[in-house]
Amino acid sequence: MGIKDKYAIVGIGYTPQGRLPGRTALGFHLEACANAIADAGLKKNDIDGLICYRVFPPASNEALVTPYLLAQHLGIAPDYMYEDANCSRSHLQNAIGALDAGFCNYVLLSYGHNAASSDSMTRMLTEMSPDDAPFGHFGALAGYALAARRAMHEFPTGPETWKHIAVGQRKWANLNPRATMFKRSMTFDDYDNAPPLVEPFRLFDACLTTDGGRAMIITSAERAHNLKNPPVYIMGIGQHNPSYDIKQATHATGPTGAQKAGKRAFNMAGISIADVDACEIYDCFTYTVEITLQDYGFFKPGEGKEWLQDGTIEPGGRMPVNTSGGLLSEAYFMGLTPISEAAMQLMGRCEERQLGPRTKTKSPEIILCSDNGAILQTHSAIILRR
Amino acid sequence: MDDDLKPLPVINDDNRDFWNGCRNHELRFQKCEQCGHVRWPASLICPVCFCRAFNWIVSEGRGRIYTFVVYHVAYHPGFQDDLPYVVAVVELTEGPRLLTNIAECPIDEISCDMPVEVTWRDVNKEISLPLFRPAVSV
Repeated sequence: MGIKDKYAIVGIGYTPQGRLPGRTALGFHLEACANAIADAGLKKNDIDGLICYRVFPPASNEALVTPYLLAQHLGIAPDYMYEDANCSRSHLQNAIGALDAGFCNYVLLSYGHNAASSDSMTRMLTEMSPDDAPFGHFGALAGYALAARRAMHEFPTGPETWKHIAVGQRKWANLNPRATMFKRSMTFDDYDNAPPLVEPFRLFDACLTTDGGRAMIITSAERAHNLKNPPVYIMGIGQHNPSYDIKQATHATGPTGAQKAGKRAFNMAGISIADVDACEIYDCFTYTVEITLQDYGFFKPGEGKEWLQDGTIEPGGRMPVNTSGGLLSEAYFMGLTPISEAAMQLMGRCEERQLGPRTKTKSPEIILCSDNGAILQTHSAIILRR
Repeated sequence: MDDDLKPLPVINDDNRDFWNGCRNHELRFQKCEQCGHVRWPASLICPVCFCRAFNWIVSEGRGRIYTFVVYHVAYHPGFQDDLPYVVAVVELTEGPRLLTNIAECPIDEISCDMPVEVTWRDVNKEISLPLFRPAVSV
């Protein structure tokens, strides 16, 4: 495919994040979008493509945030619009496809949710799995726990591996004032002593639920050169969707979609994992990070603990992972948490947590990102460069 | 355990035959007439060969635990009194995997690949849930 380096991320929109009662999901989308447009140095009428991340069931007193509702409130009328209603992780590919086809010139990609303060997550848990509910099975945490338990049966893994991920990412969050866990450190003992949620997972294996939003803008490399931020080029991108749910899946212990998606992304970029300076990995649960890195080829099945120990992914480590704190310790904005962090790192805008001399890590030229959905049913690998 | 609070299976045109079978304590699955693949969830076409013709078979109700988890949090009030409880995926000898609960077994004795057999919990006159317990004889 001839799209290597042809498209770039040019703006990121943040919002206040954490537990912020009294705000709607739509409001977070809007704030993130407005901030992304300003960050890119664009005007709202430049935006002719709009893609929203998955719709959760809205809070019971809110309307569903559709792209046209969002467009209406932004006062724009895009030529291209898309929203995923499930959990697929094709947004950047759709953005590139729409740009490459000439459907539009600037795609705004948005996520917003009041997950921490509204009843939306409860509605998702109790209303979206009717086949499983009679057996008391609800939601993604338990779904990933089923995958993780089987993995523990097939190769050496478990809490002794995962605690390096939880603790390592927390150290990054402690450098990020935006992170929910900025002021809360975590030791291995804290991890071990945390209450079990759905075994084998305990509290610190699970991502946060967050009120807030995140947005980014993608355009062509030519247009990116004239904008205010240094462009972050999409070097390679690949998607693979094993699709089978955890009940029928055999891929949940690897290879997951990450293996094929990763190969496609690396082939497009023309590089290997030896060229990767850092990773921003979709980390809904600690195990997700392990299996994704394993499937990308950083270590062999069951060798994650050895690879992770001695601070590999931490500040000062040889392969920094999830440098904002990630979904586990920064905030949950689906794939926009890892991808926006990669873009910010490559733009050099990360202050205390900036990769390079400041954190005794390699100055990043190339960052590998992942986005992953449902119970390991859908995966995108994205390689970004300065 | 307060069964009144627990969600019931949602019956639709695809899964009605399965749940009718459960009412008679039978695990029924569609077997493809062409390639013999036994499928679950219920579906109009065979996901292996796309053949639409099938026969219903009754499973022997034996299999092994593919994976399991232990809930320490009740995400629904109907399960509060059951904590801690086990949700498992059981792979039947005929091939399909069912999400289920493990009954009649201490939690710390449950393991992946453990042989199990079906046992039934009659929720009401219309609904019986297939649960699994350690296999008495393999």
